[in-house]
Amino acid sequence: VNETRPNPVARIFRQVGVDSAYVLVGFPIALVGFVVTITLFAAGVGTLVTTIGVPILAAAVYAARVFADIERLRLPPVLRQAAPRPRYRTAPPGSGVWRRLWSPLRDGQSWLDLMHAVFGWILKTISFCFVVTWWAGALGGITSIIWERFIPHPSDSKDLNVLLGMSDTLAARVGLDTAIGAVFLITLPLVVRLFALIPAQFDRALLTGIAEVQNRISGLEERREAAVSAEATALRRLERDIHDGPQQRLVRLALDLGRARQQLDNDPGAARATIEEALGQTRETLDELRALSRGIAPPILADRGLASALAALAGRSVVPVGLTVEADLGRLTPIIENTAYFVVAEALTNVAKHSQAGMCGVDVIRAGSRLGVTVIDDGVGGAQTAKGHGLAGLADRVRAAGGTLALSSPTGGPTEIRAELPCE
Amino acid sequence: VVADDAVLLREGLIRLLEENDHQVVAAVGDGPSLVDAIGTHRPDVSIVDVRMPPSHTDEGLRASVQARRLVPGTPILVLSQYVEVSYADDLLADRRGAVGYLLKDRVAEIADFLETLARVAGGGTVLDPEVVAQLVVRRGRAPLDALTQREREVLGLMAEGTSNTAIARRLVVTEGAVEKHVKNIFTKLDLPPDEEQNRRVLAVLTYLRG
Repeated sequence: VNETRPNPVARIFRQVGVDSAYVLVGFPIALVGFVVTITLFAAGVGTLVTTIGVPILAAAVYAARVFADIERLRLPPVLRQAAPRPRYRTAPPGSGVWRRLWSPLRDGQSWLDLMHAVFGWILKTISFCFVVTWWAGALGGITSIIWERFIPHPSDSKDLNVLLGMSDTLAARVGLDTAIGAVFLITLPLVVRLFALIPAQFDRALLTGIAEVQNRISGLEERREAAVSAEATALRRLERDIHDGPQQRLVRLALDLGRARQQLDNDPGAARATIEEALGQTRETLDELRALSRGIAPPILADRGLASALAALAGRSVVPVGLTVEADLGRLTPIIENTAYFVVAEALTNVAKHSQAGMCGVDVIRAGSRLGVTVIDDGVGGAQTAKGHGLAGLADRVRAAGGTLALSSPTGGPTEIRAELPCE
Repeated sequence: VVADDAVLLREGLIRLLEENDHQVVAAVGDGPSLVDAIGTHRPDVSIVDVRMPPSHTDEGLRASVQARRLVPGTPILVLSQYVEVSYADDLLADRRGAVGYLLKDRVAEIADFLETLARVAGGGTVLDPEVVAQLVVRRGRAPLDALTQREREVLGLMAEGTSNTAIARRLVVTEGAVEKHVKNIFTKLDLPPDEEQNRRVLAVLTYLRG
């Protein structure tokens, strides 16, 4: 994926703007948040013995939640990453007033929100002071050439330049102020970044920590479900392949041998022909079993790795395959090798069965920590990943390995299947 | 009529039948065409595979039940890679007899297979020994413990739909001895004695199914 990279100077300018705005706006918001929340909280705790305290506390928690939501919206540009909102505990539908008031109070995140509202302003105030100082120093210093001459300068005043032992002239004053301004200006991006990150990291820990864990868990759950589903699909297919293939052939073989035994007595010539046929059946059964076991766990994949296994696969394909595998791919983890192999195997099976393609291309590229596997054909298109299609099982399998599967197959073709898998 | 979606097996069966002086009037590969073929040809017997398109599940079984509603009592021999008691229950539900349910492997014993086919065509009920074994296991041991080893063998063969004569031949005893065993079994299990083969099988099966 090609990202358009703006030139570094523009990036620094933009980040200074983002960080400064974050800090400058953050201070008044935090102040309002603190005042509102602490007032409600104190009032709520104070009146808790009478039951009036409960709704007031709930109001405090909800107020803190509003300010937490505002901060979560403001975080991403500073942290350059998403700030997910945790799932708040909600009262089950139809529950009474008290239950509704209690459930936010029983939510751990509510108290983290409250902590954020009560203590967040401290860091934000410090950051605000530094950022305002630096901007003032930088802007004031470098513009001193304009305003310095208008400052009244009584003869008994001792400016910094005099204290430093420099001559008491306008040029010296302007020179010194400009130099100080330049130092502020040069360090401005660094200082602003630092004082934006300090409160931002504090907020992130309090406001999105739980959500990040929740997201990771649901991501893992999704992967586990995909793995279970992929396994069930694979087993069902294996059963069907055995049933439709070798099992049928063996029954036919038994039938033919039974016939041959019957024929031996009265028509030895026919018996010979039947036995010849039966021999043919055993050969085909063996071929089928070989193909089947290769489909379950191709030995060459375990022995020689992905590149060799794909070369073998491409060699057996009915449709001519142009195979490009990155030269120094080396060995990957078994699950990634397996998944990549099955993506290609399944895609090629589909190409052979449905696409009516004249040729297809297989590309395996490693870009950073991603392994990209692409299969393109020039067939009629119309492939689907809907349930019940072979590609649905494949999508599950890829997801189980922590990757993604994309399919583009307009009617009329071409069809492109692209899997991205994580590899370290 | 022969119904099986695997062409390989269908051809094999057709050849086997034709070599043994039977005539195959229709060979089909899915459920709906089986029902059509039975309706059109009214065959002496149909051989049906359980798993067929379009559903690839128990299509053959459901088509058989449907065909028997259309042509009551049309004889059907169901073949399957697996035998399951619940499938057998579906077939026996209409209590008209003329049904068989065998593992596919049994076709290799050609003489037995043809005999079974003739029995189903003649209105008999034939179940695979596997089904009977499952039924016996499911029924539990207690009442069967009262039977002698020999009587249990006879019970199994009865459930499979074997006639007294065939039981006598299989166990290498006289027919009189078999009759005595059968009478003992019916007395011990408290079943109504019945000489007609189809009803006898059903009685035994009803007992086994508990």
